[in-house]
Amino acid sequence: MAKQLVKGNEAIAEAAVRAGCRFFAGYPITPQNEIPEYLSWRLPEVGGVFVQGESEVASVNMVYGAAASGCRAMTSSSGPGISLKSEGISYLAGTQLPAVIVNISRGGPGLGSIQPAQQDYLQATKAMGHGGFHVMVFAPATLQEAVDLTYDAWEYAERDRNPVLILMDGCLGSIMEQVEFPPMKEPDRKGTHAWDLNLKEGEKRNGRLLTPYFPEALLEIKNKSHKMMIEKWQRNDVKVEEFMVDDAEYVVVAYGISARVAKEAILRLREEGENVGMIRPITLSPFPKQSFRNLNYDQVKGIIDVELAIPAQMHDDIALEVLGRAPIYEYCRSGGLLFDDEGIYAAVKKIIDGGAK
Amino acid sequence: MKKSLVISGSGGQGVMSAGIMIAQTAVDADKYATFLPEYGPEQRGGSAKCTVVVNDSEIISPLMAKCDTLIVMNEQAYAKFGKTLKSGGVMIANTSRITSEITRDDVTVVRVPADDLAVELGNIKCANIILIGALIGAEAGIITEEAMLASLDKKFASKKAEVLALNHAALAKGVAYGKEAIHK
Repeated sequence: MAKQLVKGNEAIAEAAVRAGCRFFAGYPITPQNEIPEYLSWRLPEVGGVFVQGESEVASVNMVYGAAASGCRAMTSSSGPGISLKSEGISYLAGTQLPAVIVNISRGGPGLGSIQPAQQDYLQATKAMGHGGFHVMVFAPATLQEAVDLTYDAWEYAERDRNPVLILMDGCLGSIMEQVEFPPMKEPDRKGTHAWDLNLKEGEKRNGRLLTPYFPEALLEIKNKSHKMMIEKWQRNDVKVEEFMVDDAEYVVVAYGISARVAKEAILRLREEGENVGMIRPITLSPFPKQSFRNLNYDQVKGIIDVELAIPAQMHDDIALEVLGRAPIYEYCRSGGLLFDDEGIYAAVKKIIDGGAK
Repeated sequence: MKKSLVISGSGGQGVMSAGIMIAQTAVDADKYATFLPEYGPEQRGGSAKCTVVVNDSEIISPLMAKCDTLIVMNEQAYAKFGKTLKSGGVMIANTSRITSEITRDDVTVVRVPADDLAVELGNIKCANIILIGALIGAEAGIITEEAMLASLDKKFASKKAEVLALNHAALAKGVAYGKEAIHK
């Protein structure tokens, strides 16, 4: 199929339809409005249902209900709206229902700004709601990657019976570039999933429906299996791009739009003979721990965390793997102010030249 | 070759539609393109800016500190982005809305009273097409006139013939200004 010029938010919406998503409920918020706008006409075309809920809380609970009836369901929002949805996301995790949540992130905290930022890393990776659960977090850097990750998201969500979060900054949400869409997927909807309430006559439920409330002993067993699932992600599901790290003396760590701008700066530094590379997490959860363990710390003189968040949020995850074997520097912006190639170039150069703390 | 273009003006002047048209034209000519809009919460009147990058291979970063080409559609846009144009670059200035003197002498400046010309042609809304024409005439190297004409044909296919004719005339007007500026 030919490549088309599309907007980031619409790319995610179309990829969701092709992945078999047939239910969407959401409430408007910038910078993700093109997702519901697109799905409002696109879902009815394929026999799906679009609802603009009366609130974020209502919308996420509609997704909860749709997921329980075996339908591939999605909701999207941005920071403030994701906070409102976090109760529902916790309930999805609690009842072990698969769904895809999209956060096109903006400045924060509070209402913050409508401009792009990466201020929701910690919320996404550590506590997407109350009760100590984790979700897989996909962080695309190109629109093609956004399409591919969205297309696969339900496979992970259904395998794990756990929500999957797509975390993309507002810059990539609003950008237009070429993508190639995969073919329409026909997910297996035989009503045989363990969680599917929407059984046809004569069909048997393949498993037991979980309730949102558990007796003590059962809850602990469930929490333990959740822990095992997270450990399995770390072994099997990490996605990461390692760019020129083999001989790197300085390693930039960046994701999403920040990684793209950083890569341009790294190429310029390489031209000047500086050995700079980059680790770009594609899954923020599971975090690519092994990439940091594999670094040669006799060679690496510094790690540079580049994020659109102040204070930096990825720093602790990096520090837990680097374990003091190299200094960790930060170059961050926030509030909706973006990076440019010269800014990252100058910041890294200053660190190399010993001018930064 | 990688070329970047910034278009800036105020909401309602056709900043975004010009940017999208240029990106789409480049894509139709088998190039890679990115289009990045930046604007505030206002629907009209606020500052509007977009960055278009066109390249022969995949575009790594859609954001850059300095651009190769700049279209400024009003005074504020010129004041804000005039200095972000690279030395040796091309600046297309809508002099209908820029009153201060353009002082940079290290770039090619094309002065086009686009709003006045558009009104003369019959509709102020085609000012952005005149400015795209100037960009092409000044040989900024982002898109060709043939490719842009084909894009206009596609975009206005469902509209009345007069609309297409107006946009063709607007493009030709702009091209003439661009050519004159680089050949004088």
